[in-house]
Amino acid sequence: MQALREFFNSFLLVELLKGMKLTGRHLFSGRFTIEYPEEKAPQSPRFRGLHALRRYPNGEERCIACKLCEAVCPALAITIESEEREDGTRRTTRYDIDLFKCIYCGFCEESCPVDSIVETRIYEYHFENRGEQIINKEQLLAIGDLYEPQLARDRAMDAPYR
Amino acid sequence: MAEISSYTINFGPQHPAAHGVLRLVLEMDGETVRRADPHIGLLHRATEKLAESKPYNQSIGYMDRLDYVSMMCNEHAYVLAIEKLLGVTPPIRAQYIRVMFDEITRILNHLMWLGAHGLDVGAMTVFLYAFKERENLMDCYEAVSGARMHATYYRPGGVYRDLPARMPQYQASHARSQKDLDRLNSDRQGSLLDFIDAFCERFPQSIDEFEALLTDNRIWKQRLVDVAVVSPERAIQMGFAGPMLRGSGVEWDLRKMQPYEVYDRMDFDVPVGRNGDCYDRYLVRIEEMRQSVRIIKQCVDWLRHNDGPVTIDDHKIVPPSREEMKDDMESLIHHFKLFTEGYCPPEGEAYAAVEAPKGEFGAYIVSDGANKPYRLKLRPPGYTHLAAMDEMVSGHMLADVVTVMGTMDIVFGEIDR
Amino acid sequence: MSANPEQPDDQVTITIDGAEYQASKGATIIEVADANGVDIPRFCYHPKLTAPANCRMCLVDIEMNGKAAPKPMPACITAIGDGMVVRTESERAVSAQRNVMEFLLINHPLDCPICDQGGECELQDLALGYGRGISRFTERKRVVDDEDLGPLVETEMTRCIHCTRCVRFLDEIAGTSELGALHRGEHTEIGTFVGRGIHSELSGNVIDLCPVGALTNKPYRYTARAWEMLSHPTVGPHDAIGSNISLHQVRGTVKRVVPRNNEAVNETWIADRDRYSYQGIYAEDRLQEPIARDGDKWQAMDWQEALESVAGRLKEVAAQDPSQIAAWVSPSATLEEQYLLNRLMRGLGSDNVDVRLRQADTRDGDSPSPGLGMPIAATEDVDAALLVGSHTRHDQPLLNHRLRKAGLNGAHIMALDTRRHDWNYELSEELVAHPDQLARELALIAAAMAAYVGRGVVEGLHAYTGGAEPGDNHKRVAQRLVDAGSALVMSGDAVELHQGGADLRALTALIAELAGAHHGQLGTGANAFGGWIAGAVPYRGADGSPARGMSVAETIADPRRCYVVVNLEPEHDCFDGAAARRALEAAETVVVFSPYVTEAMREYADVILPIGAFGETAGTFVNAEGRWQTFAGVGRPIGEARPAWRVFRVLGNLLSLDRFEYNAPDEIHAELQGLWERQGNPSNGGWQGRPAEPWLGHGSLVRAGNTAIYGTDPLVRRGEALQRTPHAGAARPTLSPATAQQLGVNDGDWISLDQGGPSVRLQASVDDALADSTVWLPAGLEGTAGLGPVHGPINIQRT
Repeated sequence: MQALREFFNSFLLVELLKGMKLTGRHLFSGRFTIEYPEEKAPQSPRFRGLHALRRYPNGEERCIACKLCEAVCPALAITIESEEREDGTRRTTRYDIDLFKCIYCGFCEESCPVDSIVETRIYEYHFENRGEQIINKEQLLAIGDLYEPQLARDRAMDAPYR
Repeated sequence: MAEISSYTINFGPQHPAAHGVLRLVLEMDGETVRRADPHIGLLHRATEKLAESKPYNQSIGYMDRLDYVSMMCNEHAYVLAIEKLLGVTPPIRAQYIRVMFDEITRILNHLMWLGAHGLDVGAMTVFLYAFKERENLMDCYEAVSGARMHATYYRPGGVYRDLPARMPQYQASHARSQKDLDRLNSDRQGSLLDFIDAFCERFPQSIDEFEALLTDNRIWKQRLVDVAVVSPERAIQMGFAGPMLRGSGVEWDLRKMQPYEVYDRMDFDVPVGRNGDCYDRYLVRIEEMRQSVRIIKQCVDWLRHNDGPVTIDDHKIVPPSREEMKDDMESLIHHFKLFTEGYCPPEGEAYAAVEAPKGEFGAYIVSDGANKPYRLKLRPPGYTHLAAMDEMVSGHMLADVVTVMGTMDIVFGEIDR
Repeated sequence: MSANPEQPDDQVTITIDGAEYQASKGATIIEVADANGVDIPRFCYHPKLTAPANCRMCLVDIEMNGKAAPKPMPACITAIGDGMVVRTESERAVSAQRNVMEFLLINHPLDCPICDQGGECELQDLALGYGRGISRFTERKRVVDDEDLGPLVETEMTRCIHCTRCVRFLDEIAGTSELGALHRGEHTEIGTFVGRGIHSELSGNVIDLCPVGALTNKPYRYTARAWEMLSHPTVGPHDAIGSNISLHQVRGTVKRVVPRNNEAVNETWIADRDRYSYQGIYAEDRLQEPIARDGDKWQAMDWQEALESVAGRLKEVAAQDPSQIAAWVSPSATLEEQYLLNRLMRGLGSDNVDVRLRQADTRDGDSPSPGLGMPIAATEDVDAALLVGSHTRHDQPLLNHRLRKAGLNGAHIMALDTRRHDWNYELSEELVAHPDQLARELALIAAAMAAYVGRGVVEGLHAYTGGAEPGDNHKRVAQRLVDAGSALVMSGDAVELHQGGADLRALTALIAELAGAHHGQLGTGANAFGGWIAGAVPYRGADGSPARGMSVAETIADPRRCYVVVNLEPEHDCFDGAAARRALEAAETVVVFSPYVTEAMREYADVILPIGAFGETAGTFVNAEGRWQTFAGVGRPIGEARPAWRVFRVLGNLLSLDRFEYNAPDEIHAELQGLWERQGNPSNGGWQGRPAEPWLGHGSLVRAGNTAIYGTDPLVRRGEALQRTPHAGAARPTLSPATAQQLGVNDGDWISLDQGGPSVRLQASVDDALADSTVWLPAGLEGTAGLGPVHGPINIQRT
């Protein structure tokens, strides 16, 4: 009996037809792909993308050149040079991140005692020439300036967890 | 005309079925493989050596990049070994979170394997369906850690952050109607746990669909049944672990045999195969996904009802919260020192292993009392499995090499390290 | 009740954390623990300073004769006893340590991210090791005003935890007592008593001592972190001590200098000169590429071209008369550079090579050899010392530290110079004489000594004493030196600069011989002894063979046609800057090897070749006790500059000289060491080598002086921070009150001075420390470059 059923199942291509039925059903079900770039996948406020340096609301850069991010960076992607600014404060004269070295682990942001270096939600960027992957302090600050409202919102949202 | 009885071909390293950068030198006798010689090392990044040059925590991110389809499980083994050295146990909530994400990772891995295996053997559709489900799990990764793959989420002493109370949602756009958007966001109204819960409700049907496409399919069976049969004895002798071992009928699972974290509180079964062929290994992995869903559900249930810390309260190992760090001296000093120097485990050695989706993934650390490992040795399951390549494909046809490679679930990140 | 019957009487056995240790009686617990690698936390204790036990961090549990002490005791002052049981990790000790830590942190500001000490901070380390994980303190923190301690040490007094190491250092080691603790309890503040800063020549050491970030390195401020710097062991380039130091660099740039421990040389201290002079490496006038004069203009060229041009010029002069070439080389150049230059010059056929830039009188040839004549470490055990023409505190700061230790222990440290100096301890006797009379004073001491030891009349001494009888002071000096078990007679920088230096050297040698004392002669430069070993002196080759060349003094007096000048600025570094410059300006060819290019060089030089500054060159210095200390270069020299030994090596090849195939400095070093070891022990001069005729003196108003502490060489003169200290800056000619009155000069008057050449205008000061008819005006200061010999006649006009 068992052998007979197996023979008919096999002869009548039952399992293949079952598969066809499944794919057929999926053909008419709702679409789950998204139309990038018109539409984007949902993004967590914890997202770790391109870096930025933030400023205080009064426009003063947050970074105090403590170099914790440089020390903690597993990929040695951050290079900082610092000196005393004219007003006696400790400031960076150079803040470079090599985005080819960076592994986007987020340790720099975790280590920053003044919430200066952050990883933004930006993941759409490219470089056209060798050397452009090293972004400097001015670029980082500009990214921070551009996205500050979003950055502040995301940090506030995640604050209870950190 | 000269008679050529045997000749050698190169399979990979650029072959799409080589699962990365495997170069397989095959000695052929016509269509039949006489000998297979895997050449490895094309993805070698010296992870173990690099770890010797940086504080313990800084290498967590590199563990993600070993077996890059079961990221958190690799982190887990490394972090467990450090915790063993330090002699600390993470809080119970962190343990549940870890178990939950280990199982999410297992499903992620098996979906990837299923899709790729199907694709190798000729089944395209299942690949698309598997990847659709993977996206949801990647979203869980992102929600909790901020990265869709390389999470760097587990830390010695717990996990970095607690689970978020809100799940990110799709944003309105002109490419999609509001109704459609609501459908996409229907699972995303609550917290991450709600999202995972909904996934668990949904996912068993998806597994049924995969099975409908494959399990009884004649082509699938023709390509898998009785291919690369490994006896239980040989499987043990060759150091197999995970589904490769259980497919041969050996009931061995670290989650049951040496329970870590809260696996001893979990109710789940360990599937084993009977014949030790590729088809049995397929069935074992399918069943493992179902069991993972069971475990995840139990974790979700517990996590919903039990709040608590997710890291230990020892700032000599885990940095203080940001609020504390900005507010008091002791915390600031500990923050500063932990991020510059890290902690120094006592002299000694520790081995910790987890039941990773591919088998036993272990980390062995020797500490000389400094803030970085004196030596780190990783035990990747794929490495021992690949070593059996010759034995498993000898005598089979060339086309079966692809099947065997698929059934081994090889990922070169961990094999080459 | 000795536990062990075989134990010597002065030994006791104590148990620390379960392990038994033997130690000598009188030691403290912390000393025994340190010697055996047992960690006890501490802030105020430092092995080189007294222990005040005021930080309370080192509390340990003690049990004696089976009875536990009622409270934990500070390990740093508790002396050990036989059978004592110490527990550093008992619950009570740990809780005491944790509580002390908590108190230390309540007032500490949250500065770690901006604090230079972060990462190398003892407070951080001990907080991590012994403190709580989180603070319970919620009150306001205390704030303390900063002090301005001068250009070298930055303060942030709010961070201070009152360990008082800095206070004790300045009291006990520097001897200047410039800091103190004011007020009490929570209001305690460390400060200067009258707001005048720290001016000790050893002040930088308080930075190393400070366990927190209260005292930090000012020039280094905010520029680097402890963990990112690579440390390179090297040797201090400014004095004959050869202090062991480490250069800390980031990406090839030296960020700071810190001491390395070497008990035989510098203990754990270094002088500010060694610590801050690295700024000179990055001076603005560093020469970036070889340049040559082309008419009125200067033309940059590549090395090949420049060296070929130099080789051509030298060959041309040598072909006519090799003795027309003279080479002046800095006594702070490395042994390898000096040796190669020596070989270059001898290869060209000239013996006119000399490192003794500041030696005005070379009638005594090459003897005595420079050096201390005894180990540096042994100087702290002398019973008497006579320092002739040496302000040791500024000339050799760490030698002075050793002598000070001896002096405080009761040794008789005595001095003879043209003025009293600002010593940081009490001398037993300080003789002051007019420069013309120095030889007479020494001769009187020698005469008194000869009488005291029963040698009768020493032949030739009468020419100096003029038949005078020794006074009581001479007798005291003589007797103390003779009676001392171990004594040192040393001549210093002012003797080198003295026009009758040969007489003074012969007389000091005689005194040393009569007293059975060690005889030392220390000038300026880190490697003056090395220059002598390398044969960079006109009277002997590196193999010890005698030669008949001309010294710097002779080539100034009798100018040559061609000069080779290595790493020096003659207007500052020669005993007679004005005459040296005149000689160079008159010469046909002047080749300068220098890291820097100055306006003066552009006037007299024809080719200037950029060489590596200190830190950029590998090499060896031989210090005062004859210790060969080799060091590596830190990074590439800036611009096109190259290490001088390489330049000489290629120049040797271009001149087709034999055996110039060196590939590394160690090959040169090994060759020279071989030559040196074959020579046995060269003679150290003596009374027999005295000049035939005594020098008679100038008999008029005379300039006297030494080399200013921060003016000894081109590097330190460019140490920006050092140049802002009170020890540098504009020169202040100093006169005795009687002389000032005679000339009608008041303290603070502007006077114009000349020594036969152009005059300079400087502000005078009047000080009774000086001998009459003397103008004290050291070399190496702003305003002294155009003047004549440091020791020589001078004219003063009121303006």
